[in-house]
Amino acid sequence: MSEGTLREQRRAERVARERAQAAAATRRARLLRLAGAAGLAAVAVTAAVLVSSAGDQPSAASDSSATGDAAALVRGLPERGGVLGDPDAPVTVTEYVDLQCPVCAESARTILPGLVQDYVRTGEVKLAARTLHFLGPDSVRAARVAAGAERQGRLWPFLLAFYAAQGPENSGYATDEHLRDIAAAAGVDADRALGHARSGSATGRLERANADADRLGIQSTPTFTVQRGDGPAEVVTGGLGAALDTALAR
Amino acid sequence: MTRLAAAAAAVAGLGIAGYLTIVHYAGAEPACAIAHGCGTVQASPYAQLAGVPVALLGVLGYAAILAALASDGERARTAAAFLALGGWGFSAWLTYVEVVRLEAICTWCVASALLMTVLAGLTVVRQLSAAPSPARPG
Repeated sequence: MSEGTLREQRRAERVARERAQAAAATRRARLLRLAGAAGLAAVAVTAAVLVSSAGDQPSAASDSSATGDAAALVRGLPERGGVLGDPDAPVTVTEYVDLQCPVCAESARTILPGLVQDYVRTGEVKLAARTLHFLGPDSVRAARVAAGAERQGRLWPFLLAFYAAQGPENSGYATDEHLRDIAAAAGVDADRALGHARSGSATGRLERANADADRLGIQSTPTFTVQRGDGPAEVVTGGLGAALDTALAR
Repeated sequence: MTRLAAAAAAVAGLGIAGYLTIVHYAGAEPACAIAHGCGTVQASPYAQLAGVPVALLGVLGYAAILAALASDGERARTAAAFLALGGWGFSAWLTYVEVVRLEAICTWCVASALLMTVLAGLTVVRQLSAAPSPARPG
């Protein structure tokens, strides 16, 4: 092999080596840039998730109005699909109510505090509601907006705020303005709740409440049912505390 | 090819996010063909981020990805990957929220999350496999 050919071969090897080194350097730089982009994206997503989670919590301002004190009973408790408390709680208590019913409001003041403090906050019971609406048009309007509040994970604050400002039965007091005030006190987006109240979904919620009540033979409010796990719901005819203790002891 | 596929996914995502944004501001409930959770998700507190509708953030995100895809430079590729990875991460969070917290599935949101997953994959592949920039003479 001539010296010229050898020189040419060495030069070709050097060029190939340099090209390989340049390609490796480019790959390293791109990987670094990608890792940086992924890291920045992770930070941005973490921040967004924290803000998103915070938005699920009731704001102090929304609960500080006149009716907000009523909603304070359930403050800090998780609510999903209208079910208040630990989703894994072994027993479900469902209250059948009509928002216009004075005895339901009374029950919210006398029975619910003990139930929430002693059973729901301890993770033994989760609390559901069915909004019946047989007393009159104000009941229907209120139940529809309650369905909107439920969609926002704020059914129970809405129920409690409504009871706290309950008006004379069938006096036409459940106007949009009144319901907006209740929604605001309960930390509910009033525009969206009232918008949802006109939807087929809200109608479905009311129909489900009626169907469940019919199935269990419930004809008055408030009525409680107690259900252990996926077992049958049993209508409470005596004391709620005794029914709960029986269900929890099973 | 990767760039074209990513652009197509971003346009599809822009359409979905645009539809959900219009529905949000119209106060209506999204059409939900298969599942029945679109209204639940749309009305939940998670549908807004610091008061801004998540759907609108989606519009801005997809538009930004499209803008980044318009150029083929190193910075544009990195920006597209950053935006798509961020969108994918946030979509994963929202999907978790739907399944675990809200127990409601919004088909539009799932479709958007899938598109973001595709976009994240494509933009990462594009970032890593692009031909090296031509060496400067000299």
